[in-house]
Amino acid sequence: MSIFIQILLNSLETGGIYALAALGIILIFRTSNTTNYAQGSISMFNAFIATYILIGTGLPAYAVAILGMISAFLVGVLVDRIVISRTQKINPVSKQIITLGLIMIFLGLAPMIFGTDPLQFPRFIYGSHEIMGATISYNAIVNISVGIVIMLFLFFMLQKSKWGLAVRATASNDIVARMMGIPTTFVTMASWAIAAALGTLAALMLAPTTSVSISMMDGVQIIAFLACVLGGFQTFHGPVIAAYIIGFASNFISFYISSIWSDSILYVLILIAILFKPNGLFGKKMVKKV
Amino acid sequence: MIMEALVQSEKIPDNTVLKIENLSIAFGGLKAVDSLSFDIKEKEIFGLIGPNGAGKTTVFNCITQFYRPDSGVVLFRTNTGEVENLVGKKPHEIISKGLVRTFQNIELIRELSVIDNILIGSHIEFKASLLSQILKLPKARKEEERLRKKAEEVLKYMGLYNIKDQLVAGQPYGVLKKIELARTLMCNPKLIILDEPAAGLNEVETLELIDKVREIRDRYNCAILLVEHDMKFVTDLCDRICAISFGKLLAIGTPQEIQANEQVQAAYLGKEEE
Amino acid sequence: MLKGKENKLIERYKRCRPYSDYIAFGVLLIMLPILVEIGVLKYSYLTIIAGILIYSIVALGLNLLLGYSGLISLGTAGFMGLGTYLAAYLTADLNLPFELSLLISIAVPMVIGILTGLVSLRIEGFYLAIATLAISEIFRKVFVELEVITNGFSGKKAGYPELLGFIELGRNGSFVVIVVSLVAVMIIAHNIINSYTGRAFQAMRGSEAAAQAMGVNIYKYRLLSFAIAVAFSALGGVLYIHFFKYTYPNAWTLTLSLNILAVIIIGGIRSIPGTILGSFIVFGVPDLVLKRLPIIGDFDGLAYIFNGVLIILVILFYPTGLIHIKYDIRKLASKIRKGKENYSDHGSVSAE
Repeated sequence: MSIFIQILLNSLETGGIYALAALGIILIFRTSNTTNYAQGSISMFNAFIATYILIGTGLPAYAVAILGMISAFLVGVLVDRIVISRTQKINPVSKQIITLGLIMIFLGLAPMIFGTDPLQFPRFIYGSHEIMGATISYNAIVNISVGIVIMLFLFFMLQKSKWGLAVRATASNDIVARMMGIPTTFVTMASWAIAAALGTLAALMLAPTTSVSISMMDGVQIIAFLACVLGGFQTFHGPVIAAYIIGFASNFISFYISSIWSDSILYVLILIAILFKPNGLFGKKMVKKV
Repeated sequence: MIMEALVQSEKIPDNTVLKIENLSIAFGGLKAVDSLSFDIKEKEIFGLIGPNGAGKTTVFNCITQFYRPDSGVVLFRTNTGEVENLVGKKPHEIISKGLVRTFQNIELIRELSVIDNILIGSHIEFKASLLSQILKLPKARKEEERLRKKAEEVLKYMGLYNIKDQLVAGQPYGVLKKIELARTLMCNPKLIILDEPAAGLNEVETLELIDKVREIRDRYNCAILLVEHDMKFVTDLCDRICAISFGKLLAIGTPQEIQANEQVQAAYLGKEEE
Repeated sequence: MLKGKENKLIERYKRCRPYSDYIAFGVLLIMLPILVEIGVLKYSYLTIIAGILIYSIVALGLNLLLGYSGLISLGTAGFMGLGTYLAAYLTADLNLPFELSLLISIAVPMVIGILTGLVSLRIEGFYLAIATLAISEIFRKVFVELEVITNGFSGKKAGYPELLGFIELGRNGSFVVIVVSLVAVMIIAHNIINSYTGRAFQAMRGSEAAAQAMGVNIYKYRLLSFAIAVAFSALGGVLYIHFFKYTYPNAWTLTLSLNILAVIIIGGIRSIPGTILGSFIVFGVPDLVLKRLPIIGDFDGLAYIFNGVLIILVILFYPTGLIHIKYDIRKLASKIRKGKENYSDHGSVSAE
């Protein structure tokens, strides 16, 4: 039983990290109608920046994380301004390929600027606590809560605020939104910026376990996409819930079946799940207009 | 299930090529097509009219199975003479029954030549295996030659032969419309569905189109179902017209009967009260 | 007398285009090992070119998939790697004949590819990208963990191909095999594109609705184009292991898949010569040019950045790929010629 609780607690943390990454993907997808494959590499890049700030200034981890997210925000704005804003007339497949090009740029820049050695990033807070026979670190509690708070905040903003309305309108139909006077270019830019920040936060939460390296976000990246596929691309909450489910499944499989093959088994299971639910667990069937 | 079986065993009259019965489809609570029924006779030119948003293209999509109707049957006399219910079939299976369509927003392949675009219309007639195509074996080569000749005949008939090798990209609108029409002639259709064939054409082109549609009906021995907003076009060309509004049937009759029909007039012009 | 025969040959050549172009290209390439033997060309260049040619084969498959069917696959490297490991295992460990190993090493990845496609292509085309990304990662895990067959991180070795059971090829022979395969693949790709299957692919990409209305089974043709792409990837893998004689897990990562994608985007989508050009740019320029640049040439990531920037620039400003620059050059040339003629005809500069 205590093992189960342990897995549950670990899953809340892993799921939270996946959810933040997935949220970045779905945010950009629903506003720019692009799958941003570069999400992981941009997050990794900014995680490096954050770590350099840490090494350079010696500020506490949580402060550095906030600075890292700000840097990610700026990087997101830059990417949008320099590249994405020019892609309005381009077909969706080409837009995706541009994000693949972005991966190459960030993956090339990172070792050039930061070197190839992995760097250490500390936890936000040390110490742990016991619940029902399972241990949970304070750091995990922080990660879980921060993740949930941010997500709830975003959902709240999406539903209640003017910005959120603009995002949902752009997500629904960006041409009509523009005709209604919504500044869709700002909405898109904000989405890229926020997505980058979310991804960087996920990377920094992950960093204590995996250390900051070029390939740190590889696994999370794939799972973020699979969470969007599983949760359906039509809602914002679908991928988030799917991310937590995947987090739980991942820890479960890793412990009870095999920790080496847990990723592979997970991928195959998700792909099979899609067979039965092609539009995602929460997706609605999109009727194409001819 | 039982209802469908009963309806199927009840064959449609010999001179009828299409019979839709109680066709309905709703999108998220809104009924786009509501219990629509009409039939089309062999070699008939049948028009479907209605104000914008009445559901005309949706009816086409339900017939061609781009959408699966929620209820109702689409009985079609296929090119083998048998009657089949098209509901539930996959969209790509429809053309092999002898039913082909054009699109409101022209759906041609810009990067291909005119003749290659037409050849897609006879896709189902190509039988050579992939290996045969890769190695250009006689079977593949002969088949390609034969169907290419057929395509050239169709292009000559439609007056497009001189541009057959030009790319579709950049062709004027009227020519694109002709190419789409030509594409439907490649599969020996029994029923051609034309979605707003006169849209965007000028007066001269529209008159030519009326003659052309009649010619096609005679030459290919097929029926035509069309949707069009140009009332003159519809009344000049169609043998019978079905008027719908909000997905519901208003009236079916000859052009004169429809023009005189009060409900149709009201739907088009709008009532003052209510 | 001789002139007449020459003209006939040229006529024959022109009639058989582009096949004659491909074969001529192949003949030129076969000269290269000869140049190495007589000391004119350095061996290291031959290795680079061998790589370029192998990646061209893989890229042609991807071009059929993306350029003509409109589907992205991120698993190219995984399937290519699978080809290398299978070929290595079958020839080096099991001592199977080269030809049999070739068949199996292409068939097995194709089966896995079809299974992947069955799942992901059922919904939307873009799910293929994510599914192939996942599958490629699974492959890499297998390459690392299945040590009994793959030797894990140490990598696996194989030898030069042995044709018909007794003709042992050396380095140059292996190079010729690569060239012959490339020419064959170019011809096959050309035939597919110009067949009704190729038209169905293009219809699928241009307008799914029209394609379906004309009887094209989208699902089936997506699967077919993906299977062909996987086959070409696996073939590339087999040729790779038999020339470079060594494979290891981390050679087959997303990095490679993206580079191969860059090949067709930069060189020319929907263009066979464009693919070759793209491969020279993506896989040739880094080794031949970038690495020799002072200071920044030492950085590993430079090639990657170069290719990434090039992809973005090409898509934004030259979407059909750099191969089409030749049309612009021709247009410019004829404009210049026309301008000169006008000048000399009228004795003054005419307004264009």
